[in-house]
Amino acid sequence: MGLAEQSTIQRVENRPRLPDRLVVGPDAIRAAVLIVLLAAGALLTPGYLSLENFRILLMSVAAVGIVAYGMTLVVISGEIDLAVAGTAVLSAIVGATLLDTGSPVLVIGATLVTGLAIGLVNGVLTAFVGIPSLIVTLAMLGISRAVANIISRGQASYPDSVAAYLWFGNGKLLGLPTPIALLLSIGALMVVLTRFTTFGPALYATGGNTKAAVLSGIRARSVKLSVFMICGVLAATGGMIESARLSYINPAAFAGLELEALAITVLGGAALAGGSGSILGTLLAALIIGVVNNLLNQLGVSLYTQRVVTALVILAVVLPGYKRRQIAK
Amino acid sequence: MSASADHPRPRPSLFASSLRIARDPLVLLILAILVLGSLTSEYYLTMRNLETLLRFMAVIGLLSLGVTIVMLTGRIDLSVAAIMVFSVISAVVFTKLLGGWIGERWVVRGNSFVGPASVVFLATLVVGCVLGLMNGIGIAHFKVSSFIMTLVTLTALRGGNYILTDGHPYYLQSDAFRWVGNADFLGIPFSFLVFCSVLAFLAWLMGRTNFGRHVYAIGGNEKAAIYAGLKTNRIVILTFMISGLCSAVAGILFTSRLASVDAPLASGYELTAIAIAVIGGTALSGGVGSPWRTLLAAVAFAAGLNLLSIWGVSTWYQNLAIGLTLLIAVGLSPASRKRLQL
Repeated sequence: MGLAEQSTIQRVENRPRLPDRLVVGPDAIRAAVLIVLLAAGALLTPGYLSLENFRILLMSVAAVGIVAYGMTLVVISGEIDLAVAGTAVLSAIVGATLLDTGSPVLVIGATLVTGLAIGLVNGVLTAFVGIPSLIVTLAMLGISRAVANIISRGQASYPDSVAAYLWFGNGKLLGLPTPIALLLSIGALMVVLTRFTTFGPALYATGGNTKAAVLSGIRARSVKLSVFMICGVLAATGGMIESARLSYINPAAFAGLELEALAITVLGGAALAGGSGSILGTLLAALIIGVVNNLLNQLGVSLYTQRVVTALVILAVVLPGYKRRQIAK
Repeated sequence: MSASADHPRPRPSLFASSLRIARDPLVLLILAILVLGSLTSEYYLTMRNLETLLRFMAVIGLLSLGVTIVMLTGRIDLSVAAIMVFSVISAVVFTKLLGGWIGERWVVRGNSFVGPASVVFLATLVVGCVLGLMNGIGIAHFKVSSFIMTLVTLTALRGGNYILTDGHPYYLQSDAFRWVGNADFLGIPFSFLVFCSVLAFLAWLMGRTNFGRHVYAIGGNEKAAIYAGLKTNRIVILTFMISGLCSAVAGILFTSRLASVDAPLASGYELTAIAIAVIGGTALSGGVGSPWRTLLAAVAFAAGLNLLSIWGVSTWYQNLAIGLTLLIAVGLSPASRKRLQL
């Protein structure tokens, strides 16, 4: 197939140029930033590096991190998914309508299938109908929120009766809290998918140069469709983890989730033009965002200020690449 | 629903466009909605309802005019609704601080603002303009893609709204606000007149000036425009400033009508604004569209939403309708679709 060869070429080309290195540089720098932030936390607060604080930190980024994996795949393919918050809300609400059956299979299954279905619609409209994904997913964000409110009549539900559902938020898996275990294991799965299967090179090629990818026999439309479906399922998973953790399924939840996931993706090194980015980078970026939010919490900064900070982080990451973009134009 | 009308000529003259508008499918759509409304509800064609309709139309119309101008350059502005609310809130807070500085107390019991409205209006316009300028600089000079830049602005401003208001609404109690919100001339609401003058100005700007020609040129083929020596950066920045200004004007009209301003106000209006621009035939790829057609789409949209309200359809269903309309409109518009080259 020659795909393995292609993937090495792809990887070499996607290495950021020197001026960008500091900001969207390799994962070693991200890890260093993470360590510096943790050290700062340790200086500011006694007991910061405790196991308990690590648990809190990881729990706080688990759901959004999983959503960001999906976002990363979509961004690598050269598209964007602004609907993740709507997907998470609608899938959780559809799952909630089946709470009365008491069957965990039905509730969890319905949640994940809804996520998959929304991803399918996004993917078909983007890849096969040809509507820009920005518009498709923006409209889908509005639609899925509206449908979630219509189904639930604006009422929240409490999944206390389904123990297996709550397990996603509060249980243990392999000795770790479930959200953290899922964050790591789904991350590992995505790393395998992007680096050790033929899907990976096809994905990077589609995002890097769609025309060239198609000419070399990659079915770009199917690739885009698949990443939207994966992103839909992961958004539903993230929504389920968060709902289970709070044991509260709320049709008004997850405001601004798309930007948080996007911030993590961009900070993780994915260029919005497509063709670059990595799951490992996204995981490290999720941890960085987690530590920053954790520190801001300790300093008593409000949630709304944190949202402003998230926005500024994206800008800080995106802005310095402009020289290269100017040349490209 | 046919938003797909092909208009290959980018810059029609006033006369030609008014001729075309008369046989436009959107006009038929508007007439159909009005007839349907008058048949199904005795309240629909009353003066009172039409006034409400025109007031609402003025607000979403202004937002979509701003979006239209930006979209003509092939870019997008997602921050219009956030700018609209933030500019008013920050202007009120600024005026409050100003009052404190000269020893007046302009925010009294119950978070009521009683200070001079003119200062608020002026500050609102300045803030809208500056925010548009910031969007424009990020996009034109730093080459950040427009939707990321404006999405960042949207999020930051929505967060900023809560920081500035502390989650409490401000009640705008000065007479000037009441006048702007309620005044009408011969039954025509003041806000609609403001909308009409902005529309007329933008139609002139886009149709009759070099600036307008340049905007269409950038949207049609940006590289060619650069090679032709156009100062594209400056023009793009100006379009975002126009959009910011339109949002600020919409903010003044909207909050004056409500006599209050609150952080979560008008969330999701950016979707409506883009939907209207697209239904009006503005292409997402740039270069195609005109303020006049956006006007028609805004009328159709406002009339449709108003009818849904009169029928007692809940906001949730209305939001659903807005989302679906946007998808269908873009789906039917060949200029807005980009097929994968296979």
